[in-house]
Amino acid sequence: MVDEKDLEQRLGDLRPYLAYPPTPNLVGAVRARLVTAPRRPWWSSFVIPRRLALAAAAVLIVIGGLLAIPQTRDTIAHWFGVKGVIVNTVPSLPAGPLGQSLRLGQRTTLAGAQAGARFQVLVPTDPSLGQPDEVYLNDTMPGGEVSFVYRTRPDLPTSSKTTVAILVMEIQGGVNKNFFGKMIGPDTTLTEVTVNGGPGYWIEGSPHVFFFTDAQGAVRDEDMRLATNTLLWQQGDRTLRIEGAATRAQALQIAASMQ
Amino acid sequence: MEGRPLEDTELVERTKQGDVNAYAELVARYQEVAFRVAYQIAGLEADAEEAAQEAFIKAYYALGRFRPGAPWRPWLLRIVANEARNRRSASARRTGLALRAAEARASGDTALSPEVLVQARAQRAELLDAIHQLAEPDQLALTYRYFLDLSEEEMAAALDCARGTVKSRLSRALGRLREVMGVVQHG
Repeated sequence: MVDEKDLEQRLGDLRPYLAYPPTPNLVGAVRARLVTAPRRPWWSSFVIPRRLALAAAAVLIVIGGLLAIPQTRDTIAHWFGVKGVIVNTVPSLPAGPLGQSLRLGQRTTLAGAQAGARFQVLVPTDPSLGQPDEVYLNDTMPGGEVSFVYRTRPDLPTSSKTTVAILVMEIQGGVNKNFFGKMIGPDTTLTEVTVNGGPGYWIEGSPHVFFFTDAQGAVRDEDMRLATNTLLWQQGDRTLRIEGAATRAQALQIAASMQ
Repeated sequence: MEGRPLEDTELVERTKQGDVNAYAELVARYQEVAFRVAYQIAGLEADAEEAAQEAFIKAYYALGRFRPGAPWRPWLLRIVANEARNRRSASARRTGLALRAAEARASGDTALSPEVLVQARAQRAELLDAIHQLAEPDQLALTYRYFLDLSEEEMAAALDCARGTVKSRLSRALGRLREVMGVVQHG
């Protein structure tokens, strides 16, 4: 017989002795799914391309784990041509948040960006661009992320649905961390190019998604921005990209002017 | 995110502003309780994991409906419970809660004699067996309250009932547990 007074006490005491299954780590999987399908209005459908997201997450985790091993990391970098850059092909892509905020971080000046980033910031000097209309620093990224925005104007039209014609972004990419992923849709073409003497990619076609993860497999949010033609390359300890250029020649010209 | 841990409400607001890292912090903070609530309902580890993950995704996309300043955990657990119920399979064999292996006993026991340890373990097994004999709603009420330490509001969300009925449901569950165990009534 059990005394009534003791029953609740016994229930409470039982707690540390219960064998729940180990809690799975959901952070990586949830984050990967959010990155591949950015937040939509609540009234929109809950249907998510889950199989696609899981496949992408699996690729990221496997490659992220391999990148933790220096020799393997270097081998993978060799396969893909750019240290720290991975390009994945997927059957379809989630809808992009075109027209929404580009979420580039805090608005700043060129001097502010140079002071805030933990790498030497390169600035386009191509006369067709002139001075950037806006400069941003995203200090939530390791080492900082710097963005130069060039708004649409008669001599600089846009192929995106935003008022931004060209977007230049730079992020630190060291040998001991990260790789930088890019999901390529079936209507998008990928061309290997040489940029400023280093390896890079010219990605042309339908909107695509940027994301990257670190060597531990943690995927970082890197939302779609202009989601138009993109030149992506590695230069020194940074990974750079130019979004919005109408042609590869224009993108390469801008890249070549970066100092 | 450095310095003091951010409150849930701050993390929710940051998430609404597009900070996925803030949401990752919320997931890390509540994945255990979400998984365990889902496990209590779904009864299978794989279903519980899938339900918890899906709940975090749905909660993220539904943040526009979340009332600013409201407690986030009960809101999340309501979604978790719904997802877990959706994944329940009547034909699936559920694995009920079990006691930990002897080597995983709680701290403090080491000072007790072997006889007392054996007796205490027998009593725990008896109590858990009695809980397993209860109807599922009673089991859920007891496990949410005593094993997962949910608040009244969180229990209401997970049980999908009005907050005002939580106490009465818990009281009924305790009463049935007493009946099963043959508890001595006082007064």
